[in-house]
Amino acid sequence: MIDLTPRKLLLLDHYADGEEARHFSLRIDKPLASDLAVIPGQFFMLAVPGFGEAPFTYLSLPDQQGRFNALVRRMGALTQALFEQPTGAVLGYRGPFGKGWPLFFCARQVLVVAGGCGLVPLAGVIDEASRHRLPVHLSVIYGARNSAAQVLGRERTRWRQTLRFIETCDEAKPLQRQGSPLDHFDELFADEPPEAVLCCGPEALMLATAEACLQRGLAADKIWLSLERRMHCADGLCGHCYLGTSYVCKDGPTYRYDRYLQLQAGGYRTFISQNQRLC
Amino acid sequence: MQAYSLDQPERLRAHLALEHRLYEVRADGQGGHHWQVVSAQDFGTFEPSAEPPPFSAKSFFFAERELLFRFDGGQFYSALPQVVPQVLFGLHACDLQAVAYQDRFFAADPHYQARRRATLLVGVDCLHSCAGGFCSIVGSGPAVREQTADLILLPRQDAAADWLLLVASEAGHAALRGLRLPAAADDWQAERSANQARVAAEQGPQQAIVEGIESLNAGRIAADTWEALGLRCLGCSGCTTVCPTCSCYAPLDRLGAADSMQRERVWDSCLYQGFQQEASGHNPSATSGQRVQRFWSHKFGDGFKAQFEAYGCVGCGRCDRVCPGGIGVHGVMQRVAQA
Repeated sequence: MIDLTPRKLLLLDHYADGEEARHFSLRIDKPLASDLAVIPGQFFMLAVPGFGEAPFTYLSLPDQQGRFNALVRRMGALTQALFEQPTGAVLGYRGPFGKGWPLFFCARQVLVVAGGCGLVPLAGVIDEASRHRLPVHLSVIYGARNSAAQVLGRERTRWRQTLRFIETCDEAKPLQRQGSPLDHFDELFADEPPEAVLCCGPEALMLATAEACLQRGLAADKIWLSLERRMHCADGLCGHCYLGTSYVCKDGPTYRYDRYLQLQAGGYRTFISQNQRLC
Repeated sequence: MQAYSLDQPERLRAHLALEHRLYEVRADGQGGHHWQVVSAQDFGTFEPSAEPPPFSAKSFFFAERELLFRFDGGQFYSALPQVVPQVLFGLHACDLQAVAYQDRFFAADPHYQARRRATLLVGVDCLHSCAGGFCSIVGSGPAVREQTADLILLPRQDAAADWLLLVASEAGHAALRGLRLPAAADDWQAERSANQARVAAEQGPQQAIVEGIESLNAGRIAADTWEALGLRCLGCSGCTTVCPTCSCYAPLDRLGAADSMQRERVWDSCLYQGFQQEASGHNPSATSGQRVQRFWSHKFGDGFKAQFEAYGCVGCGRCDRVCPGGIGVHGVMQRVAQA
């Protein structure tokens, strides 16, 4: 049986990290084994008592003491209430939920495409790669509206030292790259074209990225997206996060692009078992 | 199935009411019908209505509003429902099929299952079709499917003959203990087959439903068609409320004294404009046409049928009765079948 009751989560600390965004340090009270087995790209439900519950991704994975980080942008009533909570506040936690990013590739060259806050669900993968724990050569291209809108300032400083990390802004300053990540795809696909792409950002950016990859010869089953949907239960019951016959909270939020296309187009027809082959 | 002859269904009802809280649909004398508690001392005639009752059995298990947990400012406390053994007496085949559908959907939901496991289901076969039903097309009736009930009442074409009682589960068998009933002498299988054929003939070929399902699954329906149907959707949630398989819900936080609060869940509707809207304003189903398409695809899509081994529509026709825009099941499927 599922449990719809949150567990206690403590707000340890926070700092500003991008426009209207905060980097939160949190601690799960009495972490369970499942909390320590989080896969990057999975999410948790954060409750601010009295203001509801919403899904957020893990920026870092919970440690033995249950400590982890999350990045939250102030957007609606729940995040507004979260920003008003003092250090030490008791919040609610349920998780982990959903499918994370694939971590075992036969691909050598992997490209990460992130837009805005979409960098956050990918942070765990980038961290793993920058610590040389993944048998891949990972490049990242991160797009944002402008410098102020960029998140994960401290993490980006670290990642720039260890892997190819390209930043681009719609409203670029002098010496900054200009335009969306897609504007740089010719360059990224030139020498050693990626054999797999992981993408997270606004849905329009993800779809444009996937199509740009297809045009450059990458197959749909080599592209992964992470979707955002309104979620309440995270157990595939409340109905809000539907995508065709799938519930994003359970089958996603990470989808392989061929599966996403099937769900979008013939979403109501029988789904023919997904080709699980990753190579 | 074991079959008994039953002189009066009221005798069975009184027997079951001794150890359970028993509910039956009864007329309120003002044109309405409601699920009401019937005591063991109540010998009112059991008259299964020709039409399915306005409300199915859904809310007995998936409550319209219920407490999920409490928070006292420091800790969270789950709040599972307090249940008493109960009987739902006289459920039609379509509504029992809907319970079976929701049993699968809510298999891991402790609130639903707590209530469901305390419940004995007594079905009743239909001898004639109701006005708007099409159970014979979607395979949900008119004969109660054995896997969906504990006991099945079989009324007779010959009103003078005794009823028949079929035992469909172990729980049904156990519930009869203490009630002396003679074994059925008649060929009840043949009677059920005849009832089935009669109801199917009364319901007719239902061309719109059959062709609509085909059209929907072939992906032949243009977005414009859905948008035209969507124009007639008032977002009133009438259909999702009366649909016996609809299961969407929303959380509702209620602040208490000091830092305490409690969370309830309430029925929600995928036809509401904000159902999928995110805090950023992004809405993957922003148009009413998209939402209407979702609702009907959920009921008739082959992908869902594969998951649940049944359509999400049980053919009860309640949506036709309540939709103010005329886009209940027949209204929609007639339009969709033309695509």
